[in-house]
Amino acid sequence: MLTGIITVLLILAIVGSFYYESRIVKTEKIDAVFGDPEKAKGGVHWIIAGSSTILLLWLFFSWDVAKSFYPDSANELCQVAKVEESLVGIKYIFPIDERQLKSTSVIDREIAIISDYKKIIQNSGIQSSDKAKLTGLLNEAELMIGTLTNEKHLDPEVKNKVILIANKITRLKEDFAQASYPGIKSVEEEKERLELLSKQTSWGETGMEIPPLPASKTGLKFDAAAREIKLISEEFFEIKNDNPVFMAQFEKIKSAIKDFKNSLNDDQELEQDYIRQVSKIAGRIARANIFPPDALDSVQQSIVDFDEVQREEQGGLSVIDALLFPGGTIVASGDVCSEQGPGRWLPKPSDTFKIFINLLKPSEGYKNVPLIWYEMMGINQVVGFITPDWIADIIPGKYPVHSSDGKVEPNLKSTVLDIATGNFSAFSIPIPSGHIWDSFLRVILGLGLGIICGVPLGLFMGLSRFAAGYFDPIVELYRPVPPLAWAPLIITIFGIDNSGKIFLLFMVSFAIMVISARAGASGTQLSKIHAAHSLGASKWQILREVIAPNSLPEILTGIRVAIGVCWGTLVAAEFLAGTTGIGFVENVARKYSQYEVIWITIFVMGMLGLLFDIGMRKIIQKTIPWRGKG
Amino acid sequence: MKKIASFIIGSIVAVNLGISAANAAADEVRIAFFLEWATPNQEAKIKNVFDKAFGVPVRWTNFATGVEMTEAMLSGDIDISYSQGMAPFVNAVNAKAPIKMVEIAVTYGMGGTTCVVDKSISKANAQDLEGMKAAVPLGTMADYVYQEMMKVLGVDASKIQVVDMEPADGAVALIDGNVSMACLFGKNSIDKALEGGQLIMTVKEAYDAGITGIDITSVTDKFAKENPEMVRTFIEVNQEYNSRFAAGKSDMDAIARDAGMSLEKTKNQMAGFGFPTVSEQKSQYFNKEGKIMKLLDYMGKMFASAENPALEDYSKVVDTSFLDSM
Repeated sequence: MLTGIITVLLILAIVGSFYYESRIVKTEKIDAVFGDPEKAKGGVHWIIAGSSTILLLWLFFSWDVAKSFYPDSANELCQVAKVEESLVGIKYIFPIDERQLKSTSVIDREIAIISDYKKIIQNSGIQSSDKAKLTGLLNEAELMIGTLTNEKHLDPEVKNKVILIANKITRLKEDFAQASYPGIKSVEEEKERLELLSKQTSWGETGMEIPPLPASKTGLKFDAAAREIKLISEEFFEIKNDNPVFMAQFEKIKSAIKDFKNSLNDDQELEQDYIRQVSKIAGRIARANIFPPDALDSVQQSIVDFDEVQREEQGGLSVIDALLFPGGTIVASGDVCSEQGPGRWLPKPSDTFKIFINLLKPSEGYKNVPLIWYEMMGINQVVGFITPDWIADIIPGKYPVHSSDGKVEPNLKSTVLDIATGNFSAFSIPIPSGHIWDSFLRVILGLGLGIICGVPLGLFMGLSRFAAGYFDPIVELYRPVPPLAWAPLIITIFGIDNSGKIFLLFMVSFAIMVISARAGASGTQLSKIHAAHSLGASKWQILREVIAPNSLPEILTGIRVAIGVCWGTLVAAEFLAGTTGIGFVENVARKYSQYEVIWITIFVMGMLGLLFDIGMRKIIQKTIPWRGKG
Repeated sequence: MKKIASFIIGSIVAVNLGISAANAAADEVRIAFFLEWATPNQEAKIKNVFDKAFGVPVRWTNFATGVEMTEAMLSGDIDISYSQGMAPFVNAVNAKAPIKMVEIAVTYGMGGTTCVVDKSISKANAQDLEGMKAAVPLGTMADYVYQEMMKVLGVDASKIQVVDMEPADGAVALIDGNVSMACLFGKNSIDKALEGGQLIMTVKEAYDAGITGIDITSVTDKFAKENPEMVRTFIEVNQEYNSRFAAGKSDMDAIARDAGMSLEKTKNQMAGFGFPTVSEQKSQYFNKEGKIMKLLDYMGKMFASAENPALEDYSKVVDTSFLDSM
């Protein structure tokens, strides 16, 4: 219901935007010619239209539109799919959806294989008497096809059986077209059916993809027909064209093969291989159940007729299927139905939000870790993490030794060690935690390290001949390496903790920062430096007041680029040895076919990337307002 | 306005037609398999026996995990998956994928899939694993083995911090001491892990505890319906080469080459494998109270999630008609 309203609103928003645009165009100033940048301003309504289009496409391709406007359609289409499924086997034999009769293509194929083998055998180094025998056997196999396809040999009983099947399908077709089909069940059966039906949840409920039991009149019809066809189809495949002429021929070949096999020694491997192939070919022809060309025409016609009727009976359903189930449809497999196509891998927005809300609950999360939450962490742990342990080691004196009465007296050295390792009690503060936070932290740390190391080196390289030459080879050598090329080494070198992932991100951001800082430093106008010199500035002052501000635009742009690339690398890094993080969630969700979760991670990553970028844009506006205006 | 509207409708219709018209009848059989997982039918594969038996060419594609096999089958690029693990198969059918199990490909003791622990841990102090890290490729047979072994050893698996890693990475992580336990499959990976660790349960102990692995052959519904004789042929050729192997007539060099392992490793690995015959499959695995139904029920619940709950009746994802006709 809600989805329906939203769909209508989205369409209205898009139409409204077009209308609004047509209104402004009329009132626009006449001097705003093509090419005037003013014309690109004030497009808020287009942002609305753009977002609406995305949402609308999502609703459409996830089949949520179909679900909200025709909630019963999936159930009915499931019954239709059952009919389709029960027809697949029998249809495949005939040139209905295929180009050729299956028998024709089998004969085609086998004759080609037989003539290939004849050539192979002729060109092989085996005895010519064996060659003749094998070729003769192949000829016999070819003749066997004739015994199957000859109308004369067809057993009249088989003929009758075929006609019987055709009649059954035709009768089903006639019944099916009637409104009363599938007939009235006994009161108990009907009661049982309704009871089962009342237990059935609707399309898209948790754990229920497509409700399989027929709920509507149309559904009942198709469901019953599917059952009948299944039986007819089984009966049809029981019919074998085992006419006596063919049987005799097959037996003849079989015994000839046996004789030939017996005449062979163990070391005649080539001959053995050939005779095995001959026996395979003969077996394949015998089992292919080939009929004379027109023998099954009545069945084919009855199926075509039935198909036509069942398509008619679908009525509006086929239109809904074509228009509102883009790219796929409901597919039946036994008694269950499933969405195949975008409906499977593109979850419905409503489901996705439901699961997203569920994942956001700190008690739920994913794999026992919340998406984003906080945990209380003692200050002592923070102190212990920051202060290095060796501080205690360099304090003069020795660590305490236990006394003779079994007590340990702490001294200054041990107290410092306690502080350095965080082994003291202190108040706790909330620290963010969870998958999103972990990913966020990794990006920030990798990026931060890249900036701290990369910017000074880049500036240095831009200013000093030594640095430019000395560091150039190493930077230029490793810079073009795609970040993920390091991935196979990461686990071996850094293990599975954060350090490896952060290092990967550092490698990415470092190169970008060096390049951008270097470009910024070497791009400073000499006249500005000269001016500073003339005014008596020291080296440090020139660096701080002239060069740094001048390279800032380049550096900030570099950071913006680095964030993007870091974010892209992060997911792959978290695939490697996942414990937490958005990439880990996505990778695990894939293994359990949880498409909703996969899309949630994609969405979260998109949003976080956007947030980072907006933040950077704000920083750029604040710190270098002169950019692009000089 | 009119133009735009017609353009939108036109493109929607075009997309609709474009996607649904894909995949017309194929004149080849596309089969998925694993490397490092030696099976007798690889001899048939390398000697093009399957191509000859089907009468059409076969395209073999190797995959790293059974999960990927499922994905390829759903997208219509694979017809038959040979030796897909039960775990990924169960995950797929829980998600209502239209695929069916048609035979047992391989049964294996825990020589093929197992958990290797740090040398400081043994069966006696297995409880120490709680609070430590374990590398497990989630959603695979190794995941199942991990959960089963922890249950047998009385370890609370929820207290172990699981790191999702492919077997090759897990082995390295164990040797470097980054994890205390690595659950893995594939001979090379297990051997690698054993360089720095030991089995937490011997193959025999695991067997006695009833932990066995089963790999199956799964086919797409569509392929089974349209080309039942090819599915049958596939099983037949497998059986033929399994019996050759049982009789000691297999060309082990060919198998080793195709599996991407040394001859010795291949022999070693295959010694721990079982390739049940048709009658064994019918009498022990696919019968009503057989191993397959029990395992499907059990694993179905193990891997169930709110989105993809366990099926009520797993017999619907098993198609024994091909075995029955032999």
